[in-house]
Amino acid sequence: MRPLWQIPRDCLFWLLVSVFVSIGLHLEHLPPWVALSGIVAALWQIQLYRERWHQPGRLLKWSLAGACGAGLLLHYGRMTGLEPMVALLFTGYILKLLEIHHRRDALVLLYLSYLIIILQSLFSSTIVASVLVLVALLPVTAALVAMHGATDNSRPTTALRTGLAMILQAIPLMLVMFIVMPRIGSLWAVPQPNSATTGVSDSMSPGDMTQLGRNGAIAFRVEFDGPIPEQNKLYWRGLVFSSFDGRRWQQQAPQSYRDGRFLQWSNQALEAWDKDIIRRGQPLSYRVTLEATNSHWLFALSTPLSPSSSVALSRDFRLVNNEPVVSKLLYPVRSWLDNQLQAESLPGWRHQIELALPAGYNPKTRAIAKQWRAETPDTAAFINRLLGLYNQEFIYTLRPPALGRHTVDEFLWGTKKGFCEFYASSFVFFMRAAGIPARVVVGYQGGERHPSENYLIVRQYDAHAWAEVWIEGRGWLRVDPTAAVAPERIELSFADLFAEQDEFLSESPFSLEHLRHINWLNNLRLKLDSLDYAWAKWVLGYDNIQNDLLLDLLGAIKPQRIALLLLFAGGIALLPVFIMLYLSREKNTRDELDRLFLQYCARLDNIGLPREPGEGPRDFAQRIGQQAPSLTAQVDALTQLYESARYSEVQGDDLKRFKAALKAFKPSRKAFLHGA
Amino acid sequence: MIIRWRQVFNGLYQRWIERRLPPIKKIRLDNRKLFIFPTRAGFSFIGLLILLWLIATNFENNVVFALTFLLASLFIITVFHTFLNVSGLQIEGGRVTPGFAGQTAEFEYLLSQTGRRQRFSIEFSHPGLEATVVSLSGSEIKSIYLSIPVNRRGWFQARRITVRSVYPLGLLKVWTYLQFNTEALVYPRPIEAELPRQGATGQGDKPPPDNYMPHNSGSEDFVGLEKYRLGESLRHIAWKQFAREQGLQTKHYADAIDDELWLDWELLPGMDGEARLSRLCAWTQSFSEAQLPYGLRLPGVELAPGTGRVHRDTVLRELALFEQPQIVGGRA
Repeated sequence: MRPLWQIPRDCLFWLLVSVFVSIGLHLEHLPPWVALSGIVAALWQIQLYRERWHQPGRLLKWSLAGACGAGLLLHYGRMTGLEPMVALLFTGYILKLLEIHHRRDALVLLYLSYLIIILQSLFSSTIVASVLVLVALLPVTAALVAMHGATDNSRPTTALRTGLAMILQAIPLMLVMFIVMPRIGSLWAVPQPNSATTGVSDSMSPGDMTQLGRNGAIAFRVEFDGPIPEQNKLYWRGLVFSSFDGRRWQQQAPQSYRDGRFLQWSNQALEAWDKDIIRRGQPLSYRVTLEATNSHWLFALSTPLSPSSSVALSRDFRLVNNEPVVSKLLYPVRSWLDNQLQAESLPGWRHQIELALPAGYNPKTRAIAKQWRAETPDTAAFINRLLGLYNQEFIYTLRPPALGRHTVDEFLWGTKKGFCEFYASSFVFFMRAAGIPARVVVGYQGGERHPSENYLIVRQYDAHAWAEVWIEGRGWLRVDPTAAVAPERIELSFADLFAEQDEFLSESPFSLEHLRHINWLNNLRLKLDSLDYAWAKWVLGYDNIQNDLLLDLLGAIKPQRIALLLLFAGGIALLPVFIMLYLSREKNTRDELDRLFLQYCARLDNIGLPREPGEGPRDFAQRIGQQAPSLTAQVDALTQLYESARYSEVQGDDLKRFKAALKAFKPSRKAFLHGA
Repeated sequence: MIIRWRQVFNGLYQRWIERRLPPIKKIRLDNRKLFIFPTRAGFSFIGLLILLWLIATNFENNVVFALTFLLASLFIITVFHTFLNVSGLQIEGGRVTPGFAGQTAEFEYLLSQTGRRQRFSIEFSHPGLEATVVSLSGSEIKSIYLSIPVNRRGWFQARRITVRSVYPLGLLKVWTYLQFNTEALVYPRPIEAELPRQGATGQGDKPPPDNYMPHNSGSEDFVGLEKYRLGESLRHIAWKQFAREQGLQTKHYADAIDDELWLDWELLPGMDGEARLSRLCAWTQSFSEAQLPYGLRLPGVELAPGTGRVHRDTVLRELALFEQPQIVGGRA
């Protein structure tokens, strides 16, 4: 089949670049064979253009389509979800590449390229990824320009330049639209990308957290309204584990709390249990920008409240989001560090929950706990006795030995080496065995202060587990057994403590943090981080700020005012573009040549050899040859170049050569006199 | 009913266009003369924007929002680019080559500009013709030629030509209709016919000259072609006709003819006017090709015999305009 429409050469070039760029951007979450067939299809199209190969037959095309569909089903096992849908779109895109018969087909391909390239931002919207996507729109635009402005044999760069200029001109208006256009929030539920995330999980068994201890990825950033509190106050509560099965700590099922609903939303009437919280003094106000966790729980200092309508306070005094956090989330929090939680009394059913221990595990610990409790009836003294034990005999390490069935027994009376979770777990078990209500809290501790910007960077290796015990009259108290073993873990940041050890960041081999000790690199790392944070705050989390910003600008958010602002600001953004376009004059080579020739004449005039009116370049050169023979060679060469630049049919580089020769042409009066 | 409404609408539209863009000799295109509207591809692009906006909204992804707005801005920027690609262009009706009815007349249009903008892919089209695509750069002046079919002899004014461009992204089209007042002279449709033996001479009562009959021994003036006969000189073979697969023919020449040839209206009795003009037109062509002097006699018109291009054009012009009312606006 002969093509009914011949795609212009430069258009095909940019179309194929667009295809390769799309494949490159999506390489991470595409089945490898889809990417590979994309490359094959692109090569096939090149061969088609060169008339070396034939169009694939109808049978082949249909069987390819069928094979792709079956392949996707095999690969994903389902067709719902974002990844399979993008992969399906991709296969259609690739197959379309094999049948460009009309201008319309090329157009469909280019529009699909726009769509597919932008879809990449659903998977990753970091500043680097977004800039890459922006750049990737360029070849598609260039292909569109080439398709509609094709003069025969025009070079691909012509179209690229136009495309680039247009995108740059579009950016001011884009910014206006980004700032002003209201976001109306999700219209219907959509499948979210399955991004692999690291972070604390909804259960804790020995060894889980050592993985995190080696990971330098950012968990969240916090911007405080005032100064950042001291390191040892920064306990970011995320999850509360009250249920233990002998190995694994887990959350208590929400239904087992019998006094009211488990979640308290900010726009609902207060639950009965809210009176359990006593908040004193001024709250600490801050905003957390959480990286994607794919989970509901949020991190905050005790005891928190969030004004955000999508964030709830839970029965165990944590913050919970109404949807899994699949992309960066910004939430404002107020925390009352001076608080009392459930000071009055713990009902009997809660005692049961907070004292429950599985039968048949850790008999030795149970026995010793009972014995100690008999010897030390005062709860505070009892707790201190256990912490003292940790302090004297235990070692804090990122490389703990493995534990068998009786995890707590083996740890407390055997290995004595471990990580925060070992201490938290054994501590809570010991307390419960002694009849003191206790639970494990998981979250992050501390964080790195950005030296110039007033925010805190909390990383995965800051993940931490500690304990809370309930004491009659004082309520839930935080006890961090790790602090007893390694006080510096709490006083210093984690990175300061472990930077020298091999395990540190062994999960993040390319992290710039390895080079913390090199000063300028460390500064660079922090600069990059503040850039990344600004991106997260001003771009990714713009919906959170937009309302306040528009309120400030408009007084009230009404459609008419938004439309007016859009028109006004859009007009201002377009004005310079319009003026520039209207006044723009394409550089004219002929004119430049005239200008250069006048320069050449002026130089000769300076040494007393003016061109007579009406004297042609050749006559002029001849006359100079007679008057100043030493200049003959140069003047003749220049005249020749001028003539070929002016009259030659072929667009060569004569103009450039004339320019270069003119640069070197510096006739002096002396040469003229000597010659004469 | 619908068809009637459409006719009424088209009529109104045509009248509006005519008032807005009256026939001219030279025009500089500007915002009062240009129309701009999204193309079909432009509407699909708007569809793409809506899809992207829905994705951004539902995934609550601000980067997708930003990129969607970038494409939307690109669309708006394209309005300027598309418009300025054509605005400022000067078009002048140029020379017109006359044609015979049933064939085409060639209209020349000269494109120029005062600025030095680089202009790409501007299409010129006339109803029923494929578009001519032109790019223009700097201060150059470009000519485009439209070969427009003509059907009736007399003066012919081309219909509105459409100037259209979708550069750079094909999302919007900017267009205008131009009616130039340049006119083409259309000669009668030539119809070959046997030349009446005595008819071509001037006075009907005078016998035809003896030496009128062509003979192949002479070499002065070309008379016509005859089938090749064995023994004829190869030098006289009409190779052109042979190449056109019209068989082997030889050129025959006549010695100078003393007597004058007259193409006379009266030679074709019993035919209607157009039929006579068509035959006279065909003869004019063949005599002119043969470089024989010939004169023209029409009722009320008499042109003395002559040869050459100018004479031929004068004769054809008389044939074209014979009993033809002068059209309003006169000739160019």
